[in-house]
Amino acid sequence: MGKKELKVAFLLALRSLQRGSRSSVILTILIVGMCFTNMIFLPAMFNGIGQSITKQVVDYEVGNVLVSPQSGDQYVTDLGATLDLINGMPGVERATPHYSKGATLKYRQRILGVSVRAISPSDEKYISPLYTKMIAGSYLGEGDTGEVIIGKPVAGDASIREEDEFQPSLGGVRVGDSITIEYGNGYTKDYRVKGIYYTGWSQADSTVYVTWTDMEQVEGKPLDYADYITVKAKPGYSEKFIKDELQQYGVSQKVQTTSDLLSKSLGRALQSFAIINMVSLIVSIIITTVVLFIVITIKTLNSRKQIGILKAIGVDKEVIMHNYGFQVIILAILGIILGICLTLLLAMYMAIHPIVTPEWSATLYLTPIDLITNSLILFAAAILAGYVPAYQVSREDIQTAMRA
Amino acid sequence: MIEISDLRKIYHMGNVEVKALDGVTLDIEKGEFLGIMGPSGSGKTTLLHMLGLLDMPTSGKIVIDGMDLSRLTDYEKTMFRLYKLGYVFQDYALVPDLTVMENVSLPAMLRKDRSEDQYRNDSNDILQKIGLYDRRDHLPRELSGGQQQRVSLARAMVNKPDILFADEPCANLDTENSRIVLDLFREINESMHQTIVMVSHEDWHKDYFHRIIRLRDGKIVSDGINGAKTH
Repeated sequence: MGKKELKVAFLLALRSLQRGSRSSVILTILIVGMCFTNMIFLPAMFNGIGQSITKQVVDYEVGNVLVSPQSGDQYVTDLGATLDLINGMPGVERATPHYSKGATLKYRQRILGVSVRAISPSDEKYISPLYTKMIAGSYLGEGDTGEVIIGKPVAGDASIREEDEFQPSLGGVRVGDSITIEYGNGYTKDYRVKGIYYTGWSQADSTVYVTWTDMEQVEGKPLDYADYITVKAKPGYSEKFIKDELQQYGVSQKVQTTSDLLSKSLGRALQSFAIINMVSLIVSIIITTVVLFIVITIKTLNSRKQIGILKAIGVDKEVIMHNYGFQVIILAILGIILGICLTLLLAMYMAIHPIVTPEWSATLYLTPIDLITNSLILFAAAILAGYVPAYQVSREDIQTAMRA
Repeated sequence: MIEISDLRKIYHMGNVEVKALDGVTLDIEKGEFLGIMGPSGSGKTTLLHMLGLLDMPTSGKIVIDGMDLSRLTDYEKTMFRLYKLGYVFQDYALVPDLTVMENVSLPAMLRKDRSEDQYRNDSNDILQKIGLYDRRDHLPRELSGGQQQRVSLARAMVNKPDILFADEPCANLDTENSRIVLDLFREINESMHQTIVMVSHEDWHKDYFHRIIRLRDGKIVSDGINGAKTH
């Protein structure tokens, strides 16, 4: 098969698409484009959900690296010394402790069980964007006592009746209101609501934050221990680097990166996503292959006589086969370009208007590798679908084809 | 130039055996304008297809310029058709998505011994010869039947074949257009000393032929001008 033959095959293909049935060409490109979008949409959305969850876990739960008690221990002890050690390491932006206690909130007739989390407000700012998520009032100050910030779902909405609420709340607490917190150890205290926040991460939004100083009052002693320490890495430092460094510097507690933690907790969910993605991918490939197979089969069957004539005047069967092959290649490329455009438009739209649920918010997470991989898979399927009928019809003998 | 000996073609239709060609022996000289005539089902088109390598005989031998066609591979047959033969079909058989110029150039584009300039010049020359140069950018559907058949003739002639085969080229044309097309065949035959083998069932076409083969039931029943030589 020489250059001349390929050139003629390409000319025949191009002219057939240019001057043949325009509606058939447009419809085929649309179908390929939609199949490409279908192939990439679900995986990209699941990846978006995964990214969203990961970001929220990093932002509101564990930072980049989590230092937690060794197996058998309840708390990270010798807190002050451990924090000093970690904060002095290169690559560490800030380390800050969290300590949570189960409690019951009381506001007017409403009673709500929550987790009250003690934080160091100024250090927390380095770790978490919580302080930027205030929708009413203000964030906690370092020395605040007798004040809390609460999530919007905990505060509730006064206009919604208790029986109509999606999740239990205090029924419309506002900034400045006083709520009573009754801790598990029996300590009870009235707090002023200093601020209400909304992060979109349900676990953070269901939490009540108090200062470390306040929690020391609850415990009745200085808190030199914590449930865990969250560590934020400086830009350019990997989680793995920080983890290795902490272990080398002799931090005796359990040290885990966010990836370590998520691979366990999200592993099953990601496996389910992967299975759904695979099913979606296979269905899309089958649809594309079948559609292109039908399109090219119909084209070749309708052109059997013409194929016979071409062979009669000395056009080699390879030229005829590549003619249809090139048609499929052009249709597939245009369909894939359309699909990429549609997907990018959807991604832009969902970046502005993500799908938000109480658990996560989903955008389309696309990488160039995803786009390239899916394009190549679809392209290969299209070529297979086009060349099979083209190969069959090009091998038909001249008499049979001409009599068609 | 063409030597045909004891050519037979048998079709099987269920249990019935149909002898489309039944022992045809024939020589065709270079530069001859040969007409193959006869009633429907006499084997005219079958014979033309055998000579033009479009179908294979059940038995017998065809030798063109000393080459036994039965020995050629599939690819060699394709190349033989491309380099040595030209075809004009009853229904013009142009590629509907190609312009007149593209249709005419198509066989020449595939030849390895022709540059782009050469086949463009050849296509222009032949289109001027058949009087359709001005319509070179038109699609076949924009032409009349007679014009389409002239384009088909131009496509067959662009490679300057050794032998030109025509299968009832005027079957779909009125008398006036038929005459225009047949005049072109005659002009090509005379000016280029072109060997032409044409199937026809119109009696008045015989005026154009140097020699006429008449077939009946797959056998030659006469050979010569106005059937002078009888088998």
